[in-house]
Amino acid sequence: MTVEQQTRFRTLKDIPTPDYMSPGGSLCAGCGGLLAVRLFHKVLGPNLVWVNAAGCLTVMVNYPYVPLKSNWLYTAFASAPAGAQGVRDAFDILIQKGKIPAEEDVKVVVLTGDGGAYDIGLQSTSGAMYRNLDFYYLCYDNQAYGNTGFQVSSATPIGSATATTPPTPSEPGGNMFKRKDLFEIWRAHKPPYIATLSSSFAVDFLRKVEKGSKMKGPKLFISLAGCPTGWGYDPRETIREEKLAVDTGIWPLKEAVNGEVKHTYLPRALKPVEEYLSTQARYEHLFRPTKRTEVIRMIQNDVNNYWKMVSKDENVEIRLVGE
Amino acid sequence: MMIRVRFHGRGGQGAKTASRILGTAAFNEGLNVQDSPVYGAERRGAPVAAFTRISDGEVLERGYVFDPDVVMVMDSTLLDNPTARPLDGIRRRGVLFVNSQTGSSFHGIQTARPDIRVATFDLTGEALSLVGKAVISSATAAAAARIIGLVTDGSLEKAIRSELEELGLNDELIEKNVTLGRKVFASLEPVELSTDEYFVRSGLVPFELIMGERTGTEEITSAGNSNAVKTGSWRIFKPIIDYNKCTACMVCFAYCPESALTLRGDYKPVIDEDNCKGCLICYRECPPKAITLEKEVREF
Repeated sequence: MTVEQQTRFRTLKDIPTPDYMSPGGSLCAGCGGLLAVRLFHKVLGPNLVWVNAAGCLTVMVNYPYVPLKSNWLYTAFASAPAGAQGVRDAFDILIQKGKIPAEEDVKVVVLTGDGGAYDIGLQSTSGAMYRNLDFYYLCYDNQAYGNTGFQVSSATPIGSATATTPPTPSEPGGNMFKRKDLFEIWRAHKPPYIATLSSSFAVDFLRKVEKGSKMKGPKLFISLAGCPTGWGYDPRETIREEKLAVDTGIWPLKEAVNGEVKHTYLPRALKPVEEYLSTQARYEHLFRPTKRTEVIRMIQNDVNNYWKMVSKDENVEIRLVGE
Repeated sequence: MMIRVRFHGRGGQGAKTASRILGTAAFNEGLNVQDSPVYGAERRGAPVAAFTRISDGEVLERGYVFDPDVVMVMDSTLLDNPTARPLDGIRRRGVLFVNSQTGSSFHGIQTARPDIRVATFDLTGEALSLVGKAVISSATAAAAARIIGLVTDGSLEKAIRSELEELGLNDELIEKNVTLGRKVFASLEPVELSTDEYFVRSGLVPFELIMGERTGTEEITSAGNSNAVKTGSWRIFKPIIDYNKCTACMVCFAYCPESALTLRGDYKPVIDEDNCKGCLICYRECPPKAITLEKEVREF
């Protein structure tokens, strides 16, 4: 077994008990993004600098109250990876000059939403990967601009209603653009480690962050972030919603080590996407007043096509829906 | 004649929609109206305010209502909230409405402001039983409409329908909200409004009540100090752990987004009641169903 394969997380009971965050921040109850940050922090320990692009999670801080017990730097929307470069360089130089001891080094983590990762900060992320910056990158993906009232982003899935893509007589299906495949955009840069995460698969989540932490260079993560306010479900359902996204095949859990893709969770039989879509208000127009079978089928076909490729590439049997 | 109504709620309760429904209802009566919400960089559960101005003449004022004739407080824990400050500026002989579960008569407020009328009603309880959700936009609008007395139940009903339709609610939910609005409207009495220009800008709530424990430099500069915010007041239901049933599986601990659960020596969880926002993920996910719910009854 290689060093990369060894893990201290076998069951949920192996979750580190220290919390590096306090309760009382200003985010919505049941925020999936906050849960992802909390789990991420648990694996990496207390010595972090979060470099936070504008987005929902910046609002966890409401001066003078901060939930983080670690360090936090707030940057403009587009420039979090550039900020991370500055912090990384500063620490490297200070350690090199002997001004701070090496054991006081910190890990630098970019924290950004999907708006920052898929749209506004894409170029500076690309730049940081190009420069092989030794940093972590956590995108909490709630699939829209949640902070400003849930407007469409290039991470918004087909069929989702948002503040700027409501169902209308001319576009009754809501958003009709496909999500960007950010995982593949990142993979084209060949960073050492990329992974998708969901807090609902907590052990998988913890293991991936641990695995990334053993590598040098850019380590990038996209975590699904259930959003009760924007997606329109009861806050208590966050884990169930995320789990359903994985079990329907909508949110594949995978990683790419030096560009080589492997799925870390292979559902034997996918659940129908309808089970997931019908639980969220952002998809309500697909079911009421009339059922928009053509849109639902389109979403299901996309999922089926994806997993057909996976079956072939990884030589596994996956039962698809309706085929 | 102009009536200024200020709504204070928590994000998600429907303060903005309440101000819209009231405005539309008065508009349906042929009056001139204006409504607007204000909220900061916070979200569900955080204090928000909304304003409705109703006049038989022109409405030339704009912006924040500093001197309301009627204040609608949708969550009684906002009464001493330093961000919301709902008691600020109520006009002499104005009306304070509080959504209250206990039927308290708010003696402290009456003593400080004997001139104002305090009205209460359990809107949340009514909404939970009639609609099944703790959203009280239509209920609060109905209470405000009844208190100012310029709106008939027909205009109110029309306004609830049109505003909730615009928000994309389904017919079943709209009907339930109409029923809720009618019930609240019929349960309250109109108040003879005889406010005058005089208003009290502040100084009503004692300083200690607004500031709570003193906030000093040490607290401001310490990391992870957000637990001083006490977001426990956001909750509608409180999770209660049955330690006999708890198997120390740590599922709730893993999934609590807020870090509001800590583990005891035996790995069973303890809830930080001051700060748990009541998302109820722990209740939903607990494998042995060792967590039950209790409706919060908090009072100012």
